Amino acid sequence: MYPQKIHHYLQSFFKENDCPILSDHAHYLIVQLTVEMDKKMMNRPYYWQYIEATGDEPIPAQLTFITNKNELTEKITGEVIHAGSPRLSQIFSLMNEMGAVVRMYEVGKSGVETILTPWVIINYKVSYYSHQTKEFIYSLGMNLMTGEVLKDFQESLLTRSLQTEIPKHTFCLPYTIKPENAVDRLDAILENVIRKDDHTWAEEAKQRWEKEKMILDYFYEDTTDKPERYQIEQQALAEQYEANIQIDIINGGLFYLAACPS
Amino acid sequence: MITLRIEKTSDWKEKFLKRLDDQEKWDSWLFYSMSYDIEKENLISDFHGLQALKHLPNLKPFDHQLEAAETVIEKMNGKAILADEVGLGKTIEAGLILKEYLVRGLVKKALILAPASLVNQWVDELNQKFHIPAIAYRKNYALNACQIVVMSIDMAKREAYRDQIYAEDFDLIIIDEAHKLKNHQTKNYQFVQNLKKKFCLLLTATPIQNNVFELFHLISLLKPGHLGNYESFQAAFKGNKQHDEAEEFLHELVNQVMVRNRRQDTEMEWTSRQVQVYPIQFTKEEQAAYERISNLKELSPIFSHSFSMITLQREMCSSKEATCLTLTKMKERCTNAEEIAEIDRVITQLMSLQHHSKAEKAYDIIKKANDKVIIFTEYEATQIYLQSYLYSKGITSVPFNGRFSKSKRDWMKQLFEQKAQVLIATESGSEGINLQFCSHVINYDLPWNPMKLEQRIGRVHRIGQDEDVYIYNLAVQNTIEDHILNLLYKKIGVFEKVVGELDDILSYVNKRQDVRKMNG
Repeated sequence: MYPQKIHHYLQSFFKENDCPILSDHAHYLIVQLTVEMDKKMMNRPYYWQYIEATGDEPIPAQLTFITNKNELTEKITGEVIHAGSPRLSQIFSLMNEMGAVVRMYEVGKSGVETILTPWVIINYKVSYYSHQTKEFIYSLGMNLMTGEVLKDFQESLLTRSLQTEIPKHTFCLPYTIKPENAVDRLDAILENVIRKDDHTWAEEAKQRWEKEKMILDYFYEDTTDKPERYQIEQQALAEQYEANIQIDIINGGLFYLAACPS
Repeated sequence: MITLRIEKTSDWKEKFLKRLDDQEKWDSWLFYSMSYDIEKENLISDFHGLQALKHLPNLKPFDHQLEAAETVIEKMNGKAILADEVGLGKTIEAGLILKEYLVRGLVKKALILAPASLVNQWVDELNQKFHIPAIAYRKNYALNACQIVVMSIDMAKREAYRDQIYAEDFDLIIIDEAHKLKNHQTKNYQFVQNLKKKFCLLLTATPIQNNVFELFHLISLLKPGHLGNYESFQAAFKGNKQHDEAEEFLHELVNQVMVRNRRQDTEMEWTSRQVQVYPIQFTKEEQAAYERISNLKELSPIFSHSFSMITLQREMCSSKEATCLTLTKMKERCTNAEEIAEIDRVITQLMSLQHHSKAEKAYDIIKKANDKVIIFTEYEATQIYLQSYLYSKGITSVPFNGRFSKSKRDWMKQLFEQKAQVLIATESGSEGINLQFCSHVINYDLPWNPMKLEQRIGRVHRIGQDEDVYIYNLAVQNTIEDHILNLLYKKIGVFEKVVGELDDILSYVNKRQDVRKMNG
């Protein structure tokens, strides 16, 4: 992740959260946190307890973030932010939490009456893991009028203009499929897609597991009373090689869109 | 058809329903889009390759370190011995592997067991270089609240902690200086043996110190059965006979679980290492005293025990002071008047000797080097003798041993760097002290274990050394030291066949090449 990109993420994050950016330089930022953001980011519950108990004037923190240490010529002290730094992870996870569920409307051509169709869209992250991992993103959407399902939905949204309020001269169709049912149906469809996928990786992990079990058994072959550690070692092999699939939802929401994306 | 377990996290639907019911506000579209982009960017789209580097923009690992990490993860499935030569950055390799597993979500909790003196160094490196929030375990910490814990193995094995650690279910165990687990009868070994090892890294530059059984025990910790069971292994390697074929086969198996980089294979620049054995001739008087001591075994059962005899002989090759000290202790156990009288005569004979031939040789070397020199001896009495002998020759020296406190060790190191020409260290002083500003090492006494030589040389021949390094190995001819030399050559031979080649530690042309030359 390039420093410019990280800088841009930070700018957007604080602006969207109404935290004034006091100084915005190419390689660093100085930000004034709001009370709400201080509570979310600074991990000082005792301070806030104290302020609330005494009624004192709260002083939320002011933070300096250095986004490109290598280019920085000014004498600035602050937190160095880079891909993988704990602060950036914290901000990303806050972003994820604050952008989990949305409702959006497409904006049509001005002056023309537009009819919008409701969709439920979910962005899934699927992880295959045994002793290795691989991840996939599935962006699935269901038309709540027809039950039609489309994939790679998120990417197709990029070409559309969306906003949070219903635009003027716009009519939103009611849904015939309840959104909560759409969620369940999308879950089921995804599971089906996953089951049909190529799972050579899991077969291979299982073969390796079997082989390792044989080696382990050979070690204890002549031992009639197997020690406790034999069970521990069996358990370790299971955890190492057992094939698992994890499905997480990154985010999703209710979308009113003009024509079917294709 | 394989059955797959699918797990789902499901709090999202609830959030969605709350918003549909107007109980909560809808979230930010900007954050929605940015989160999706970030997830896409950090997606682990391949089973292979290192993802960790994306998260470590400021780390510049060497190629051999990256390859080692990849090999361990992809070919060895996260159970391996990291056996690079000293100074090539095994810690960096271990850090990369740990980071990769953390990024891939395969490791949530990890335990690093290191010698007490290295615990803080591990914590610093993991935090600073890898942004891994490791903590040094202290008394009264709640272990279940810690994700990445560094502690000393001596602490971990204690009853108070052992069961807590077993209960913690760590996903990755890293053991630094793993050669300390060579003996399977120790508490440390048994502690590690009963630890669950889903992924496990053993770090040691010297996986064999004396014999192949040590390697067997080490690998049996990692992957029991990989080298067969104890009975079959013993059948193949017992006794002192040559096991050329078995050793080659063993080498193949060992390579499946071990990564070993050598200095010369890396792109790092290393100064060269000049190693030589200096044979020393006793004076007639010294030789006579040596023979007389060797004959003591005929005198009393106290001396006939081979261990005591060997100790005396080795001490005689070191200094009369060391010999006399042991003789005096032995005398206390004698009851027979004749025995006591003989010992007294031997001591008198020893005291009449002039300076030790080896000490004189050491002095010659120091004078010729005209530079800072480290002397390693096995005996504290020799350490004191050498200090006064060198002083009489106008050479300043400081003593060093492992029993010194941390501050005294630092002080001695500083004195050596700034004031004294020579540092005289006993064996226990050879761990965890780095002396790159010095490039001459005299091995005044030879240890039984060749890896101790490697350890000693590693004190000076490491990153930061700008000069060629000179190693002087002293051995008195026609004494027990001939035998020690032979044994060292033999052990090095086994190490090279089973583990891989070694940098020179004993002599510039090693024995095997010598033999080949003679035959050719």
